[in-house]
Amino acid sequence: MTEGHRRILVVEDDPETAGQLVESLTTSGYHVDLAASGSEALRRGAAGDYAVITIDRMLPDIDGIAVMRQLRDDGVAAPVLIVSALGEVDDRVRGLRAGGDDYLVKPFSFVELLARVEALGRRSETIVKETILRVGDLAIDLVSRTASRRGKDILLLPREFQLLEYLVRNEGRIVSRAMLLQHVWDLHFDPSTNIIDVYVGRVRRKVDGQQAYPLIHTVRGVGYCLRAPG
Amino acid sequence: MLLAKTLTSSTFKQALIAIATFGVIVSALFSYVYMSTSSYVRSRSDRAIMTEYSSLQGAYERSGRDGLIALIQRRIGDESFADNLYLLVDPSLAALGGNLTAWPSTVTARGGWTEFRAGGPLPNAANRPLIRAMLQTFPGGDRLLVGRDISELDRFADQIRTAMISVAGLLFVIAGVASILVTRRTVGRIEQINATSRAIMLSGLDKRIPLRGTHDEWDRVAENLNLMLDRIETLMGEVKQVSDNVAHDLRTPLTRMRGRLEKAYHGRRIGEDDQALIGDTIADLDAVLRIFSSLTRIAQIETQARKGAFRTVNLVEVAGEVVELYDAAAEQEGTRLTVVGDREVLVTGDRDLIFDAIANLVDNAIKHGHAGGHVVVANEHVDGRPVISIADDGPGIPACEYEQVFKRFYRLEHSRTPGNGLGLSLVAAVARLHGARIEMLDNAPGLKLRLWFSAPVG
Repeated sequence: MTEGHRRILVVEDDPETAGQLVESLTTSGYHVDLAASGSEALRRGAAGDYAVITIDRMLPDIDGIAVMRQLRDDGVAAPVLIVSALGEVDDRVRGLRAGGDDYLVKPFSFVELLARVEALGRRSETIVKETILRVGDLAIDLVSRTASRRGKDILLLPREFQLLEYLVRNEGRIVSRAMLLQHVWDLHFDPSTNIIDVYVGRVRRKVDGQQAYPLIHTVRGVGYCLRAPG
Repeated sequence: MLLAKTLTSSTFKQALIAIATFGVIVSALFSYVYMSTSSYVRSRSDRAIMTEYSSLQGAYERSGRDGLIALIQRRIGDESFADNLYLLVDPSLAALGGNLTAWPSTVTARGGWTEFRAGGPLPNAANRPLIRAMLQTFPGGDRLLVGRDISELDRFADQIRTAMISVAGLLFVIAGVASILVTRRTVGRIEQINATSRAIMLSGLDKRIPLRGTHDEWDRVAENLNLMLDRIETLMGEVKQVSDNVAHDLRTPLTRMRGRLEKAYHGRRIGEDDQALIGDTIADLDAVLRIFSSLTRIAQIETQARKGAFRTVNLVEVAGEVVELYDAAAEQEGTRLTVVGDREVLVTGDRDLIFDAIANLVDNAIKHGHAGGHVVVANEHVDGRPVISIADDGPGIPACEYEQVFKRFYRLEHSRTPGNGLGLSLVAAVARLHGARIEMLDNAPGLKLRLWFSAPVG
């Protein structure tokens, strides 16, 4: 990742939230610019080369979605994460349709925000062309939709393979439960139960059961992370 | 008070218009009857006079003045001609014969019909009777008068007129009184409804409009208004229940958080303890936030605003996706989760919300069914209506709680399972939005919940 791609523009008008965002993103190694209004966001967004832009929907001057549209019209291609207190599916769909790349509902955990910013930042990097992805002794074949560890095949249902693929593609990064629901199931709803954990648990038994080391790790309170030891 | 309202009410005004219309028609009818009756009676009497007149005229032409006088004398003596009046006078108007004493002073015409009041006492007649007569002046100057006392006819006509006017008057009085009574009744019922409305505004929703048991339209209006009041009362009760529950359900985790933070505030900083404490607090906060988002979501669904996003949705597809998502959860419980039924069951609706509702029901079925049991999701058409049913073979719920479980925050008495009691409220809200009926059945053992959708349009 180049230096330019560690730069993030945060558009947020509430000083305390903005401060917390800047702090947690800076701690994770990002260089953060802050815009407290829509007009400032337009000025900075058009001038800088950002890896990711996060935009609050409720801004004092211009609506967050209008800001995003304007940035797109100005030729800014950086992925946009919309942050909003309006959590309903309709708002979410409207935000995504207007050109947003991801949507996060307030209040959110900073780990979740980081995970999403990471995932979005990666999208602006070159897309992996290989058909076989490897993490440690795990190999997944994107063409035949099969997975194996140390050459031994793992029997997975189609959805289980999709889940594993998503984890592998985000190797080393935290993936939240909401992100899994969104990207593996294409669902935007909030199951009140631990349904995702149970599903991941099943995939984990198939992938990590009786192996030398585990690949799928639980990140307490947030989600999961797939990584090889060492 | 009531009388004043009666007289100013619109019903009474309408009644007055009806009475006026009725009055015009009755008057016209009675006038016609009166006129035709009196002209009929008069024409009969005129015919009798004409007949008698013709025979007297014939007698005069045949046998002259003396013959006529003789005939008149005979007629006067004859009982069957007692009703007739005769008078023959010479050119100086001196009476030659007949039962009238003198030529009536008011009659100056020399021929044709006339009417006059007789001057003196007459046989079979009251004072100054009205007489109708035919006159003729013969070539010699003698004048003949043949007539009849029509006082009786006149009185008969008068009686008819009086009778008709009395009947009409009576009818008006009866109609007037009846319309006041009817209006009073109407106004009384409306006043009852008004009084109840005012009482409700002043005190509370527990008042109801009294029914009279007459099953008339007023009772139906009152019944419907009472039903509406029942519904409003239920809704108000639910709102109160919900706010009570929100207060309770939020107070518990908030109290826990406060206690924890207070303890930490006063205690010494210990790295690991602090982390556990903060972690627990975040988890509690998340629970609180989840309650809020569930409540706003249900509220949003209930505003019906999402109907604009309705599409044709295949229940079988949605059910398939839900079952796939919950497959692992079912497996963990050792529960078999299967989809049966038709391959295509189409409804018109919001796909995301239907998914949400079915997911909640399947989630419940897995949680409340017994471990190692069987949860069946069935898609079918019953009586042409799309139906999805979710059945488990767990302990089920008592029939008396079927209604209760859809209330916000309701949890079964001995429920051991986690959850905030909003799942079925969401299902109910989604069903209402789609005009779908929820039916709960005893699956013996277990619970079977059916959602009856309406067939998609077009």
